[in-house]
Amino acid sequence: MTRTTWQKFCRQWMLQFFALAGIVFLLIFCYMPMVGVILAFNNYKPKTGFLGFFTSPWVGFRWFKELFSDPSFGRIFANTLKLSLLKLLFSFPMPILFSLVLNEMRILKAKKLMQTISYLPHFVSWVVVQGILVSLLSSQSGVLNQILLDLGFIQEKLPFLSLAKYFLPVAVVSDIWKEMGWWSIIFLAAIAGIDMAQYEAAIVDGASRMQRIWHIILPSIKPTIVVVLILSLGGLLGGGLGGSNFEQAYLLGNDINNSASEILQTYTLKVGLSAGRFSYATAVGLMQSVISVFLVIASNAAARKISGEGLF
Amino acid sequence: MEQVNNAHSRATMRRSLEDRMISVVIFIVMTLVFVAIIYPFYYCLIISLNQGRDASLGGIYFFPRKFTLDNYKEVFRDSQLIASYGMTILRTVVGTVSAVLFTGLVAYAMSHRDLAYRKIYMTLMIVAMYFSGGLIPYYMVLRSLGLLNTFGVYVIPSLFGIWNCILMINFFRTIPESLKESAKLDGANEMTIFFRVIAPLSMPIFATIALYVGVGHWNDWYSTSFFAQQNRGLRTLAYMLKELITRANLTSIAGQFAMDMSSAQRQGSAASATYTAESLRMATMIVVVVPIICVYPFLQRFFVKGVMVGSVKE
Repeated sequence: MTRTTWQKFCRQWMLQFFALAGIVFLLIFCYMPMVGVILAFNNYKPKTGFLGFFTSPWVGFRWFKELFSDPSFGRIFANTLKLSLLKLLFSFPMPILFSLVLNEMRILKAKKLMQTISYLPHFVSWVVVQGILVSLLSSQSGVLNQILLDLGFIQEKLPFLSLAKYFLPVAVVSDIWKEMGWWSIIFLAAIAGIDMAQYEAAIVDGASRMQRIWHIILPSIKPTIVVVLILSLGGLLGGGLGGSNFEQAYLLGNDINNSASEILQTYTLKVGLSAGRFSYATAVGLMQSVISVFLVIASNAAARKISGEGLF
Repeated sequence: MEQVNNAHSRATMRRSLEDRMISVVIFIVMTLVFVAIIYPFYYCLIISLNQGRDASLGGIYFFPRKFTLDNYKEVFRDSQLIASYGMTILRTVVGTVSAVLFTGLVAYAMSHRDLAYRKIYMTLMIVAMYFSGGLIPYYMVLRSLGLLNTFGVYVIPSLFGIWNCILMINFFRTIPESLKESAKLDGANEMTIFFRVIAPLSMPIFATIALYVGVGHWNDWYSTSFFAQQNRGLRTLAYMLKELITRANLTSIAGQFAMDMSSAQRQGSAASATYTAESLRMATMIVVVVPIICVYPFLQRFFVKGVMVGSVKE
């Protein structure tokens, strides 16, 4: 071949123009911020603009040292981990269970209706979820408090939205409520892909419905479960698949439940955009990213070892 | 022989008993899920259709007690809210159309396996999918570009989505090459091929991406709060709702400590009105949610496919 890649490039100039438009976008909105993490190592003043990324005085690990010696850092870090791990533990299995139950539904119309309904919360903003939570749970007019009171389960209204001890349960349950249906799509698709012959053989052998779920469906969708698990482990600190940590902590957090609801992301926002300590906030954000990358790699390696199935 | 038969019938009996029990469990679980998802929306709806003062007495669970449309009338009398409604529709339409077009063109180029430097482009995309600079550097980039507090901050940063691009690439690859070839023979350039040949065949994937992007725009309060707060004209519906709810939440928390004061305040502020802050909030929430409820079921078969395509490893 005498034609070089460059000649090919020129011949495809119009396609290259389209592709490069996307690449330029990525360079500006993804790679420039990545370059911007050097803010974490210098003393940046916003007046200096983009060039100031590079010209600000270098301070090394000063911001990280400050962060680690901050007395509230331990609590904020623990809150981030607790929220993330609880969501992984409870939110992750729910779509799988839900898709198993959906799959066992025999009346097709009911099944279709349940699917459609279960997708609804995914499309609704966290702001609306916050509004719904206020109307259901608030200690003044919350309908759940009224019902519990009427039924005699509680003696006085519970402050679900303000006390720190209720923050994690409310966050986890609302996350399940919002994303369970959506993520069941993937598992339901995996179940639909199972060879019918396997079922028929199992039925002939006298396998019960539970046995079919346990011995056919679950092993068949294991690769899908592993892939989704890796994806959600990678986004663990962001709040798993839905990436809901920030919005939940920001919208459900307040001065009273702060001890449980303040997480790394809201802390970044507070010290960065509100207090104007941009370099310090970048350091907080960078630390979170580093942990996330480590989690992706580690979980991928673990998945490869356990099931011989990795993402990359 | 008899024994075998017996065993068989016992098996069928056991199966049918188990079957029935499982069906009962499924029925119960699904009823609970149904109620848990629908009731919160339904509750907001009935409160929004009930006279506000009356609703604050409590006890409304299933139907409005004093039906009224006053809450909605009041919501739509608020000029700031109407302005934010207009802004939300504008950014959703402009943002969605431009994002689908832009991402579509990029994806169309990337779907050509013989595109020069394609490997480099793909690598840049994948790396950008897994790594990010975080909020503050991103904010600084927006600031340096002069996007803060402009309409552009809604549209431009969401023009391109890597995940959406990959979905589109996968879809475009299912379109037969021969269609493109014959268009090329007729003298069409790539732009014409995209708009005349590819786009008409790609409506399912365009609808899916438009739904994802459109819902994102519709629901976004984040960019208003952090990137455009100083420009009142840019306030969106989701942002307004967030402000309403945050205020209500704070009042309710403060109310725990000073219940009397807050209810006195509420009565004082709107002595003649039948609506309350809560009933207005509910009406606003319904106004925000209804367009979504009206749109997404019709796109269901598309987005379900989209998620499935996306879950297949590239």
